[in-house]
Amino acid sequence: MKWSSFRYLVKQGWHNMIFNRLMSLASVGVLTACLVITGTAVLLSENVGRYVDYLETLNEIVFFIDDNVSDEKIEEMKSKISGQENVSECLFIPKSAAVEEMRDQLGEYSDIMDEYAGEGNENNPLPASFRVSVKDVARLSETVNTVSELGAYTAEDEEGNAVEQNVFYKVSSPSELSDTLVSLRRIVSYIGSGLVLILGVVSIVVIGNTIRLTVFARRKDINIMKFVGATNAFIRLPFFVEGMTVGAISGLLASGIVIGIYYGIEQALLSPEAMWLSEFTRCIVPFEMVIKPIMSGFILFGIVIGGIGCAMSIRKHLKV
Amino acid sequence: MEANEIIRFENVKKIYTGLDSKSKDIVALQNVNLSINKGEFVFVLGHSGAGKSTFLKLILREEVATEGRVIVNGRDLSKIRQREIPYLRRGMGVVFQDFRLIPNMTAYENVAFAMRVTNIPEKQIKRRVPYALNLVGLAGKARSLPQELSGGEQQRIALARAVVHSPPIIIADEPTGNIDPELSVEIMELLQAINSLGTTVVVVTHEHDLAARFHKRTITIDHGEVIDDGLTRLEEEEEAF
Repeated sequence: MKWSSFRYLVKQGWHNMIFNRLMSLASVGVLTACLVITGTAVLLSENVGRYVDYLETLNEIVFFIDDNVSDEKIEEMKSKISGQENVSECLFIPKSAAVEEMRDQLGEYSDIMDEYAGEGNENNPLPASFRVSVKDVARLSETVNTVSELGAYTAEDEEGNAVEQNVFYKVSSPSELSDTLVSLRRIVSYIGSGLVLILGVVSIVVIGNTIRLTVFARRKDINIMKFVGATNAFIRLPFFVEGMTVGAISGLLASGIVIGIYYGIEQALLSPEAMWLSEFTRCIVPFEMVIKPIMSGFILFGIVIGGIGCAMSIRKHLKV
Repeated sequence: MEANEIIRFENVKKIYTGLDSKSKDIVALQNVNLSINKGEFVFVLGHSGAGKSTFLKLILREEVATEGRVIVNGRDLSKIRQREIPYLRRGMGVVFQDFRLIPNMTAYENVAFAMRVTNIPEKQIKRRVPYALNLVGLAGKARSLPQELSGGEQQRIALARAVVHSPPIIIADEPTGNIDPELSVEIMELLQAINSLGTTVVVVTHEHDLAARFHKRTITIDHGEVIDDGLTRLEEEEEAF
């Protein structure tokens, strides 16, 4: 095809779009609506996912250490725990630090802990501990068991008999919370992917039908073109241009709407009135990070859907 | 096929097969043997359902003959590939009863379109389209959209579109079916003028009277068979003399 013919056909596509503006407007409206719904589902899923990520970082297992365990043994345990595959951080909290933490929590009543304060205070009833953070919260129970087994050792009692002992006398782990988070993440991921998939298919079907109507309304034109000797490529190109332009305009409109709504919601969440939601607000995807992927994704998606819709709709009418 | 022939039907039969086992097959054309020479003007006559449209569809390769051969411009239409059909049609100018102009294109653009599909340079289009519009007497309506023109004017634009790229054959399917009787004669005279320039013209019509006014070869189709061919009769009459 000559460059001049290509240029003519591209112009013809735009001309057709303006000439059939009602149909073009209907296509733009339908595609924009589908893109807005799909985009909202993606953003919602992404934000909930980030919140779950944040909650996971709060997961901590506390291994309380028996008072009789020597400092050497504690050092050895710390390096063994840190070496575990699923452990991201292992923090040793000595007895004195536990008292200080308790004082902080007690606030104005902190003075009741005064008699237990200080390093090496014999009266201090609080145990030393290891605070362990895990990488994969789904394997939390497995990590608790592994570390507990690491703490097992054999000691001799006063009569010289071998006795099974454990460095840790108690373990506190938020197993229930971790299970809830894992389930929540799974549900969010399934619902998000499901919504995107369903709405993607709905978009293709709806836009395909709208374009089919446009093509059907112009089936006579196609027929005329065939009889004056136009090749299929020559007939298709203006329709492609039309479909892709409709897609690009829809993508631009939809991204404008979604970005605008997102900005509004973000501003509302950051306002002083929404302080009670700060736990969630700190996790939302920043507005600036949303603009580029949403705009490019929507426009590209619109162009592809418009093109595919046209190709699918016009084929039937070319068999003359 | 002889050198002078441009359209040839050899033992052509066309059957439209029923969509299911209960529907009957329809024989639209049978035992059709004829040839049309270059530069001839031919009327194809017949009442509704006689097989005229099928005759035309076979020439345009919209349909393929069930039996026999249809040869147009030296090409056997039962053997050409789907992608060759546009190139076959570029060798013909087609005029329809319902004009079939593209509604969102001006008269000029509609005429130019027949040249654009063949990748003809813009310079040549700018020269030929006004010539064709002038030929049909509508040079002043170049910027009008089809809906702004009368039926007769639309048909003349369709005629200009058919001749603009100088095809060797013009096929007109009931070209006067949607226009007034006075304008019908005008259209036929235009076709005659085009024929006088050397173009083969095939006019399919059911208007016997109109055909009779022009004293041209007339092929009559009835129940799918050629029952009369004016050229044959003319030869017989000549022999009788």
